[in-house]
Amino acid sequence: MKIIKNITIGLSLLLSSQLVFSAQPGTTLASVNPEADRMALQNYFKKRFPDAELADYVNGIYAVDADSREQWEELESFPPYEFDVEEGERLFKTAFANGKGYADCFENGGVGIRQNFPYWDKEASTVKTLEQEINECRESNGEKPLKWGKGAIAQISAYMAWTSRDNVFDIKIPEGDEGALAAYLEGKKFFYTKRGQLNLSCANCHLQGSNVRIRADLAGPALGHPSHFPVFRSKWGSLGTLHRRYKGCHKDSRSKPLDMQHETFRNLEYFQTYMSNGLVVNGPGSRK
Amino acid sequence: MKKLIAIIATVVLLPAAAIAETFDEAFEMNRAMYGKGYTFTWSGQQYSTDHQEEVEARVDATKANAESLIAKAKAHNAEVAKVGFEWKLTKGLLKDAEAAIESGDYRKALNLAAQAKYHARIGLQQHAYAEKNWHLSVPQ
Ligand code: HEC
Repeated sequence: MKIIKNITIGLSLLLSSQLVFSAQPGTTLASVNPEADRMALQNYFKKRFPDAELADYVNGIYAVDADSREQWEELESFPPYEFDVEEGERLFKTAFANGKGYADCFENGGVGIRQNFPYWDKEASTVKTLEQEINECRESNGEKPLKWGKGAIAQISAYMAWTSRDNVFDIKIPEGDEGALAAYLEGKKFFYTKRGQLNLSCANCHLQGSNVRIRADLAGPALGHPSHFPVFRSKWGSLGTLHRRYKGCHKDSRSKPLDMQHETFRNLEYFQTYMSNGLVVNGPGSRK
Repeated sequence: MKKLIAIIATVVLLPAAAIAETFDEAFEMNRAMYGKGYTFTWSGQQYSTDHQEEVEARVDATKANAESLIAKAKAHNAEVAKVGFEWKLTKGLLKDAEAAIESGDYRKALNLAAQAKYHARIGLQQHAYAEKNWHLSVPQ
């Protein structure tokens, strides 16, 4: 009897582990399986770019396009974000009017923690991003919040990423927490949904369209998208946050873009960063 | 004999397959091929390739008509915004339509409002389509 039970358990384990890799788009709360999604996305890119190393996807388009990689490596030999990291450190270490500082708001004094963001905040029942917590830290200490897209918030975020370089992304979707899973699913849905006057989804450009020329640009693979943010982008001439980029890309489908740190963008970041689990933090980065 | 049956089957099935094309598909194809103002047959009935909004804009260029079409477009746009599918240029078109009314150019206002309403209506269709089909682009 015991043997039979063991066999049944063994079998169901076998079956459930097989399910992880089976053909399931996972579009409902009942069927969505983030680990299966992550594997499927990795496999998609393995097939698409057989020569690219998985770990190299943190380098975006430069992982799969040799020509632009050369230009970029030149750019990185004098990293354009160096000043921003220094300024970010200065801001991070400058005390608020009440004597407290950012270090008091974060685990481990805010050092080496970038890989844990964004995370599901069960109490607030929402996804929290690093930038959001930077501003919450300010407000709870009587300071005004910073603007979301660029400037001081990007610099502080860049410094925090800098102290976390090479740490492995470890985004968690707490088991049995339907709210967290629903947030992940909304982010996934947003990513794969066609919208706007051009009827384009993020996936159209960053999966099917990765390394395909779209006007003057090559869209990079979605895998590893958030790893190096904030980013110094030559086109901006400055450092910008991930949501600044989200807003621009959302608009590229000729949609009215969402505001930075909108709940849907935070869910998108949750989905995209979960997809990058296992890759390392390499922010801040530089891009064309 | 088998061959004959196959031929008969295709002949019988062919028109059925043609009918299986949805109205939207037939509309889009005819619109793309012949532009506006063309009449096509679908499922035994005749239809025009004009967009609903092109018909709505083809009214007397009066202030009241322009205002009424702007109001309709605004209502549609509010609906599409609620489901997160508002297009980038729609609000601008509505603003320009209102400015055209101010300057007394009601024809222009009607045309701009029609475009805005078209954006919103297709945005709503996009949303409905996505609800059913977004899974198709998820890699497995
Ligand atoms: C019309 C095509 C297009 C669409 C649609 C699009 N993007 Fe992009 N995106 C680009 C291009 C081109 C770039 C610049 C090249 C690159 O780095 O990928 C880019 C860059 C990015 C980057 C920065 C990549 C990096 O390595 O720094 C992120 C993140 C991003 N897109 C996310 C998204 C998301 C999320 C969506 C959907 C809301 C989206 N994109 C929709 C074309 C597109």
